[in-house]
Amino acid sequence: MSDDTTRPAGAADGTDGVDPVLSLSNVDSGYGEVQVLDDLSIRLDPGEIVCLVGPNGAGKSTVLKTAFGMLTPWTGTVEYHGRDIGGMAPEEIVREGIGYVPQTDNVFGSLTIDENLRMGGVARDGGLEDVIETLYDRFPIIDRKRTAKAKTLSGGQRQVLAFARALVMEPDVLLIDEPSAGLAPNTADDVFEDVQEVNDMDTAILMVEQNVTKGLGISDRGYVLDQGTVRFEGTPEELLNDEEVSQLYLGG
Amino acid sequence: MTVLGYLANGLVFSSIIVLGSIGLSLVYSIADFANFAHGDTMTVGAYSALVTFGAVGGLGGAVLGLPYGFFLALVAGIAVAAVVAVGTEKLVYEPLDVDSIGLLITSIGIAFIYRAVIQIRFGSDFTRFGIQPLRPIEALVPYGVRVTLHDVAIVGSAVVLVGGLHVLLQYTDLGRKMRAMADNPDLARVSGIRTKRVKLWTWVIGAGLAGAGGVFLGLFNQLSPRMGFNLLLVIFAAVILGGIGSVYGAMAGGFLIGMINQLTPFFSNVVEALPIWPGWLAALLESLISIEYANAIAFVIMVAVLLVRPNGIAGEGAT
Repeated sequence: MSDDTTRPAGAADGTDGVDPVLSLSNVDSGYGEVQVLDDLSIRLDPGEIVCLVGPNGAGKSTVLKTAFGMLTPWTGTVEYHGRDIGGMAPEEIVREGIGYVPQTDNVFGSLTIDENLRMGGVARDGGLEDVIETLYDRFPIIDRKRTAKAKTLSGGQRQVLAFARALVMEPDVLLIDEPSAGLAPNTADDVFEDVQEVNDMDTAILMVEQNVTKGLGISDRGYVLDQGTVRFEGTPEELLNDEEVSQLYLGG
Repeated sequence: MTVLGYLANGLVFSSIIVLGSIGLSLVYSIADFANFAHGDTMTVGAYSALVTFGAVGGLGGAVLGLPYGFFLALVAGIAVAAVVAVGTEKLVYEPLDVDSIGLLITSIGIAFIYRAVIQIRFGSDFTRFGIQPLRPIEALVPYGVRVTLHDVAIVGSAVVLVGGLHVLLQYTDLGRKMRAMADNPDLARVSGIRTKRVKLWTWVIGAGLAGAGGVFLGLFNQLSPRMGFNLLLVIFAAVILGGIGSVYGAMAGGFLIGMINQLTPFFSNVVEALPIWPGWLAALLESLISIEYANAIAFVIMVAVLLVRPNGIAGEGAT
């Protein structure tokens, strides 16, 4: 795993020699009989933030769900550090080192903040107390409310707790589904800062985001998805400045 | 009998209903499954205890008018009920892999099977534990309270079991996982909780408590193959009244329904005693509020509460 400063310059185009930490290759996937992903291939390199953008129904969230074992790929492979994890159950994938923050219902509302974090660490072998204290230090906003029920938190606080819960496992890869959904603009900015901070802890991040400018703004690379497959990929600048991309997919 | 007397009876009966309600609510909220075999699980516990008590009956001394052997039989009843429930989950419900409605219908069939097996072995007649019935506790009789030491044992044991469950749910890892699963099953898996294992423990705890409830029901009344099934709808009423999916709600609901059930004759006396009714209305009310309608009255009260609080006493299903 490399941090920002040592990332190879070529990482941006996804064709360099670095082994990806997570990759989906030629994946078809969907719900029941309904196919959503169609021959989709993406990669996430160590230490990167990669953002998936695209219109509603493009299959962005489905990518995360397939990577995390909530959906089994129909064809194609999901590889984590070169090992096929396609179809492995989520509770086992967590143990491999991937974390997932769902878009909604991402905290246990009837449990306290402390209990939420403990649940995030059920698969840990030890050191639970230490890592929880570290997370409280990092996110003071939830430290003040350790014994409060999670349903009493505001939207932004809830999102922070959802991150923290996933981080208790100290994952190599964090999958985040629309971190800014339903948040006021100021709060959303805070959440994006948190995403960057998490990334600074050597966690590679694959993120889905509706707010294209802000999502790509903190990312190293982005993919534009449409109808279940990758239409464009590139650095944020390339994507945001591309005439076709912005007209077709980024709302002008 | 005095008000106190009815309340005391209500407390004893409530203890049994609460033990039944907890398991139904736990399995509903954690396994997403309205288990219609839950009442017959109580029966399984009761008859297992009967057999065990027959074997070890006279063992040792006695406490609260109950031979030590009875407590051994109680443990056996809890254990067998738990084993039967886990076995059914492993052999029937899990392999079937159907949705919650499919499970519900399957569990009705399972209930018939439990009952039929018991009936084949023990016949359909009423039977009793071979324990000498006790006279009411003398000191309480002047207050109109006619409870025996056995009743005290029932309430005491229920309090211990419910207290134990509370400690388990709030302060142990398993308990937190159970609450997490009841709250949000998808997030539980995302967090790394091995949900199948937690589900099995839920069956063990829910069925074990039902088994205990069955044993106490056999001690309070008598045993029959229909004893548990006859109680099932009352227990459902308690769970719904409490707020389906909430274990603490189920406890509260069980307590209320049990109380109302035993207080019915008292309500009837009140109607009789108050001179405010025209004669025909009093007669009508008396016939409606009589002991045969105890269960119906419990349901009417359940409906009334749900009209005011549609999600039950404990609200949105928070555990």
